[in-house]
Amino acid sequence: MNLLIGAVTIGLILSLLALGVYLSFRIFNFPDITAEGSITMGASIAAVLLVKGMNPLLATLVAFCGGMLAGATTGVLHTKFKIHGLLSGILVMTALYSVNLHIMGKSNVPLLTEKTLATYADNIGQKFAGAGPLNILGWEVGVNDASVLIASGVGIALIGGLLYFFFRTNLGTSMRATGDNQQMIRALGVNVENMIILGLALSNGLIALSGALLAQYQGFADVQMGIGMVVWGLASVIIGESLVGSTSLGLLITGTIMGSVSFRLLVAIALRWGLNPNDLKLITAVFVFVALVLPGFVRKLKRKPAAYA
Amino acid sequence: MLEISNISKTFNPGTPNEVRALRNVNLKLEESSFVIIIGTNGSGKTTLLNAVAGTFFVDSGAIRLAGRAITRWPEHRRAKMIGRVFQNPFSGTAPNMSIAENLALASRRGQHRGLGWALQPNFRRELRDRVRSLDMGLEDRVDNAIGSLSGGQRQALTLLMATWQKPELLLLDEHTAALDPKSADQVIRFSDEIIAREKLTTFMVTHSMHQAVNLGNRIIMMHRGQVVHDLTGAERQRARVDDLLARFEEIRRREQLDAGAAEMLRRNYI
Repeated sequence: MNLLIGAVTIGLILSLLALGVYLSFRIFNFPDITAEGSITMGASIAAVLLVKGMNPLLATLVAFCGGMLAGATTGVLHTKFKIHGLLSGILVMTALYSVNLHIMGKSNVPLLTEKTLATYADNIGQKFAGAGPLNILGWEVGVNDASVLIASGVGIALIGGLLYFFFRTNLGTSMRATGDNQQMIRALGVNVENMIILGLALSNGLIALSGALLAQYQGFADVQMGIGMVVWGLASVIIGESLVGSTSLGLLITGTIMGSVSFRLLVAIALRWGLNPNDLKLITAVFVFVALVLPGFVRKLKRKPAAYA
Repeated sequence: MLEISNISKTFNPGTPNEVRALRNVNLKLEESSFVIIIGTNGSGKTTLLNAVAGTFFVDSGAIRLAGRAITRWPEHRRAKMIGRVFQNPFSGTAPNMSIAENLALASRRGQHRGLGWALQPNFRRELRDRVRSLDMGLEDRVDNAIGSLSGGQRQALTLLMATWQKPELLLLDEHTAALDPKSADQVIRFSDEIIAREKLTTFMVTHSMHQAVNLGNRIIMMHRGQVVHDLTGAERQRARVDDLLARFEEIRRREQLDAGAAEMLRRNYI
């Protein structure tokens, strides 16, 4: 049970990563690799500020802004200096590795006794449920685990809702149209370059936020923690899309969150069954490959018999 | 209204693919005039339209619109004054967004886009009325994705979008060329109607001689990046499809003559 709760909590926290990846890859059609650096950046900023004794909410907010800055840099490289999107992301991601080491001063910052959002949630939970373990449907669940899970759920629902409403505003619809048809939105007077910079900033802000929350949940920030995160985010987005099977915005945002949670659950179950953790990234990459190729392959198979008929 | 003075544009200069698309073009459009541009393939019609729209900057010359020098304005800045409909029905609309959202985007052409709600209730009411005026039965489908509509419907909506706020200048780039005859007819009728009602200054490229003689009040014929004929007033009134075709034929003959002369020179001197 604790394993499941842990998996769902991480899934919820990483759903912000998935939403960020959804924003850059799906809405803007922009393969943004900056994510691997900005998630670590969010974690390191939050960890260092927490060690210095800053209010966790404020520290998380600063981490969000740091991610936005990273994303905006990628956007500027791509739009103002005409560097290929993929390469701009790689450049910023590589630079961020050093930046993150500078922020932390070392490769790993533990959060042992610091007040974090997780301890906040725990305190609130104990006020309501007392200190003892809870009995839910016959399983014993720690109050701290349950309260962190609920707090993450509420937080992510709030952010998902905000994102949904943002995409319904004048600015948000212009942003979506920029990804959908650049020629059209330029003819309607939108500065496409600024829109891409803003969109990548928002995307990486969300990803850094995810990193900040992850560091507080797992109790440390590590300079290596971003490796493979883009593919994980992409896997969540793909699972989410197949779960809701719709193109409506609200459902896709919900689906992405659900996809992230299901993905972490799948991973937890696979690890429990004895999957070698070293193979995890290989399997995820293969999964994303199959998910990208399969739809086209199935269509081809379906078309073939028709050719004979 | 629109003043084009001496503009030139060469694509891929200094390479084997060099194209001198516009050569010292001069043109002046009066307010509320409806000008049709015709010409052979590669004559620079669409390039002229794109130069005005700001798709690229011209190499030399100046463009003024409604008293403002827009020669160095980027495309999105000019969009505040210019409404456009493209040849490709897919170019003018965002396929994965709804009809309502597309029109909401168009309703703020060139304006600040902040965190206000894109689809306000009173906008939705106005939207239904305006979409109903297309007479295509789309008013009950405003929340459907535009990608699900036919080319003709999309082109009619693009026209509605381009004219939602009255533009200083409307650019129509062979906007019915990719449509079936019936849809093309419908879109042309709607264009003519809206241009007449709003007294829009319009610049329209077409391949159809019928459209050229039946619409607008001035015909410009282009060839090799230059304006070769400019029919206005009584001359425009008298113009028939056959006259235009005769002028094309004349250009073609002169071209052949040039080719023949070149051949003669080659034989004699090389």
